[in-house]
Amino acid sequence: MISLKNIVKTYDGKTVLHDISVDFPSGKTTVILGPSGSGKSTLLRSIDLLVRPESGSISFEDFNYDYSQPISSKESFKLRRKTSMVFQNWNLFPNLTVLRNITEAPINVLKLSKDEAESKARDLLDRVGLADLEERYPSQLSGGQQQRISICRALAMNPEYILLDEPTSALDPELETQVLRILEELAKAGQSMIIVTHNMDFARLVSDKIVFIEDGEKVFDNDTKEFFEHPTSRIKDFLSGISIDPDAADNKE
Amino acid sequence: MWHIIITSLPEMLVAMVQYTIPLAIIAFIFGLILAVITALIKFIEPSGNKLVKYPYMVIRAIFSFYVWLFRSTPLLVQLFIIFFGLPNIGVQLDPFIAAVIGFSLNTGAYASETIRSALLSVPQDQWDAAYTLGFSTPQTLMKIVLPQAVRIALPPLSNSFIGLFKDTSLASSITILEMFQVSQQITAKNFQPLLMYSLAAFLYAIICTLLSWLQHYLERRTSQYVKGSEA
Repeated sequence: MISLKNIVKTYDGKTVLHDISVDFPSGKTTVILGPSGSGKSTLLRSIDLLVRPESGSISFEDFNYDYSQPISSKESFKLRRKTSMVFQNWNLFPNLTVLRNITEAPINVLKLSKDEAESKARDLLDRVGLADLEERYPSQLSGGQQQRISICRALAMNPEYILLDEPTSALDPELETQVLRILEELAKAGQSMIIVTHNMDFARLVSDKIVFIEDGEKVFDNDTKEFFEHPTSRIKDFLSGISIDPDAADNKE
Repeated sequence: MWHIIITSLPEMLVAMVQYTIPLAIIAFIFGLILAVITALIKFIEPSGNKLVKYPYMVIRAIFSFYVWLFRSTPLLVQLFIIFFGLPNIGVQLDPFIAAVIGFSLNTGAYASETIRSALLSVPQDQWDAAYTLGFSTPQTLMKIVLPQAVRIALPPLSNSFIGLFKDTSLASSITILEMFQVSQQITAKNFQPLLMYSLAAFLYAIICTLLSWLQHYLERRTSQYVKGSEA
């Protein structure tokens, strides 16, 4: 389990996360929801130290860091070994082939042999249905394909948790579905995931837990079922606000 | 006319092979090494630790001063100071060594800015992606960022090299028998300045054309992954 405690993050004097504490259970899929600008991505990125909160702490079963203290590169490495991030714009390495995008970190960071890393990468590509693209460059592929490859790149590091920052927001609905199916399979296989998303259907069908954040404050933190079956009035507003059907939230009750 | 060209050409080609080309290549290699070091020192932000930060700021200031100095003064003046000026404080240099030092420092100052801007042009997203995979900062720089920066830096660096190749003619002023100096000496004997200097210009142009072909080849090689490239 990952536990974040009392996270405070400010940008230029503006507080974007107010004292947030939240647990992300292992083996489960947690979805972080909230209006844009609410601080969800900031919260997710602070788990991987891509954002550094001013105060608060993060703990795993076997270690604990205080964000307000200096974190050595050895410590941040230990943390990043446990997590791997998938980005909204996938951020593949444009100068490397698909295969090398996936093998580069296992070879350089995990010190796997080239053969070992490549056979593992091919298994992963096979799993996401892209086995025939290993020699292509990212620019030659669609966004949906690139995002599936970036999921392979994250999985190749055997992280305990996969962190996904709006993984389908830059994709067409059709391509989005391809990516969501893979995430659904991962969730069923018991992969621990934390996903920032705007896709309510995905949140409802796949996630075990929902954290709802608004203006840097945690508004909801409970089971997915609870979120959709007994929404508070604020959650109802949010759900109807993102649907073109004005009764959407009510219909879901 | 052909007789003059045929008799003076061997001498000029020897000078080119003996001095012009080695001077350009050696100075460019040293210049590039210096440029990469300078660019990295100006690019990397020191950590918060004061014991690291303050000495680092001093080193960075020294390198910034170097870049400012060599970009703000003429190359010919720099060569004169190194070769004719330094003996006044007891530093007597072989002319070829003096030329290598002058051209390297000059090229390094310009190329460092090229490399620094190429490094800056690689998006932060690439750093984030590498960090989340567990790459350290030096690994990210070497494995992910530098290879992408090379593609961006290649055209301006080729420009620098072509410029340097032609600037080696300035070495004639510090007694080096490079190609232009040889053409001047021949002119002093045959009184054919138009012919001799045109011949020198022609030889420079041939080499520079070959260099720009090499540039296009390298650009194609390093741009294979870019959308719409031929390769």
